[in-house]
Amino acid sequence: MPEVDDRILLDWDALQVGETFEKYEYVLTQDMIDTYRKGVMDPEAAFPTISHKVDIKQFNAKYRDDGSVNARCAFYCYNPPIAGKKLTVRAWVADKYVRRGKNYTVTEAVSVDEDGRLIDRVITHELKQPSEVGKKWGG
Amino acid sequence: MGRVVKAQRVGDEIEPMVKHVTQEAINLFEGSAGRSTPSQFTDEATARETLGTEGTVASGRMTLSFALEMLRRHFGGDVFNHNGMVDLRFLRPVRPGDTITFAGTISDVSREAGGRKVSVDIKLTNQRGDTAVVGAGSAVVPNAFFPPEE
Repeated sequence: MPEVDDRILLDWDALQVGETFEKYEYVLTQDMIDTYRKGVMDPEAAFPTISHKVDIKQFNAKYRDDGSVNARCAFYCYNPPIAGKKLTVRAWVADKYVRRGKNYTVTEAVSVDEDGRLIDRVITHELKQPSEVGKKWGG
Repeated sequence: MGRVVKAQRVGDEIEPMVKHVTQEAINLFEGSAGRSTPSQFTDEATARETLGTEGTVASGRMTLSFALEMLRRHFGGDVFNHNGMVDLRFLRPVRPGDTITFAGTISDVSREAGGRKVSVDIKLTNQRGDTAVVGAGSAVVPNAFFPPEE
């Protein structure tokens, strides 16, 4: 039986800046780290947490929309995560804005490990009309 | 990685970095977080439907990972992995098959408690010479990481 998508259809105008999403927890495994390092072709890559996209993960767990494109992303390094540790992520809507008639959301997330070490912070600006970029990019 | 001692002067170019992006690498990046469902990054049909592109694209966060590597190599992991940051704007897609070059130029050096904040302008160009990404990064370098005469 297909799963029912019970997420809320995003109403960008009604989206509240400051809305905080449910806490997200996961264990970062050595396999995740190894696979990430192969993907980015960097055996010393220290922040495999990037690929988990934890800020938009929580956004997308609550809202459904027509997809999005990463327009801007900032990442702050505090302490490299350690394999086997549980990470706790707090994410929220940091801002929203309109530029050239297109809607953007800004999500932010902070990760902390089970020992209380601050791991990283990520801030992502997403364009909410992704089909527009395909036109701009020329396919 | 041990302590990286080097001068940090405004206008200096840091060591550039080149990456060849493949679909296999993109799939590994996406799969490293346990994602297995088709996306604009891993599936051409989904990319066509979602983005209107001919093929898949690399995630902006994958590109951001490359920029982190360039700055980590410059500052050293002892510094960058504990107070480094990168902020990128994605202007054009990075696609499988692209060979991308990251360049960085030191744009500012300012005093902070215990060290100096070194800011770097970042630019990514593809094999066609198109600028695909621009942005900046920084790290606070402890005074002990500068040459004695600095």
